[in-house]
Amino acid sequence: MSLKQRILYLSAESTDPKSPTLSQALHEPLNDDIVEIDPTSEGLDYKTVHEAVVDGWRIVHFPDQRSSNPNSEEEIIGFQFILEKIEDYNE
Amino acid sequence: MNKIDQYLLNDDQVADFVINGYHIVQTSFPSKFHDEIYSKLNNLSSNPGDKINIAVSELDEIYDHPSLRGPLQSLLGEGYSIAEHRHCHKNHPGTRSQRWHQDNLNIPALMDGHTRSPDHIKSVLVMYYPQEVKSNMGPTALIPGSHLFRSAPDRNASQGNFRDQKIATLKEGSLLILHYDIWHAGTANTSNKIRYMVKYLFERKKESEKPTWNHSSSNKAHILDRLERDEAATVQRSLIHKRNFLRTKMWNNIAGKGSLEYKYHDKWAGSWPEPKM
Repeated sequence: MSLKQRILYLSAESTDPKSPTLSQALHEPLNDDIVEIDPTSEGLDYKTVHEAVVDGWRIVHFPDQRSSNPNSEEEIIGFQFILEKIEDYNE
Repeated sequence: MNKIDQYLLNDDQVADFVINGYHIVQTSFPSKFHDEIYSKLNNLSSNPGDKINIAVSELDEIYDHPSLRGPLQSLLGEGYSIAEHRHCHKNHPGTRSQRWHQDNLNIPALMDGHTRSPDHIKSVLVMYYPQEVKSNMGPTALIPGSHLFRSAPDRNASQGNFRDQKIATLKEGSLLILHYDIWHAGTANTSNKIRYMVKYLFERKKESEKPTWNHSSSNKAHILDRLERDEAATVQRSLIHKRNFLRTKMWNNIAGKGSLEYKYHDKWAGSWPEPKM
């Protein structure tokens, strides 16, 4: 048993942690961890970033508060929060 | 009425494509026909690349069927062309998921100045599946409405599952028509069966002077309302106006004389909202 970092990327509809989540990727601290689109997924684990915080996740990166670059032609869907949980983890 | 006319899309189906970026066609070929194609694909000793239609000639029958030509004429106009590039995706058991992406523009078949077209339908991908595709067989995943945006693949690499993603679990013999710019990905095949998908590309050759689908001008207000209100995959509020503007522009670019007038109309008059208790 050792303390390891679990990482959760959650994109939300706005910079408000209580706005609905749009996408999710969970990275477990395992050598053979694979993060990919899951065609059997029945939805996201958390409806809001706040709900994840209530469940013990800690926000380590907040989305940029500046407005998007109006000259940029590329778009990112959602505002990304990065969260962590430090837990005892069995390899 | 010729054979293609009976398969033309109607206004709502074209609006669905403009809003979501995809359309599914169920072919009427017997199951045995698709099984034969699957078997021939499975017996290929190497990848024939663009010549997949010569190696498995039945594929051209699928792609030339009026049930596909009707929707293609509806979306790409009359006289659309088939690109030289074709590809057979062989998805073995154990294949991992791709990342979200828009297909590459740098392929020889599209070197004639092809760019992203978030306000037009200039080319479509047509994916044919000779076998049923269940959720564990590497179905194609897509984000409805994403064809209206240019993706930044390096920056969206950390986005795994989208809440509103669509997973194309399909019956055998289905055809999935995609706007060329839609964000999509092949997913993991955790089954014990190879999943084939054959991809053809079709391109618009000229601008349409009028709708090339089963259009009625009496639907204009209804269609404009749908383009302004219908949800696809949820996006942030700051993108909604851009998205809705591009939808209307796309419709107008393919409709010619059937264009919609983008003008103010009062969409708020009517019943007061119910009190929230």
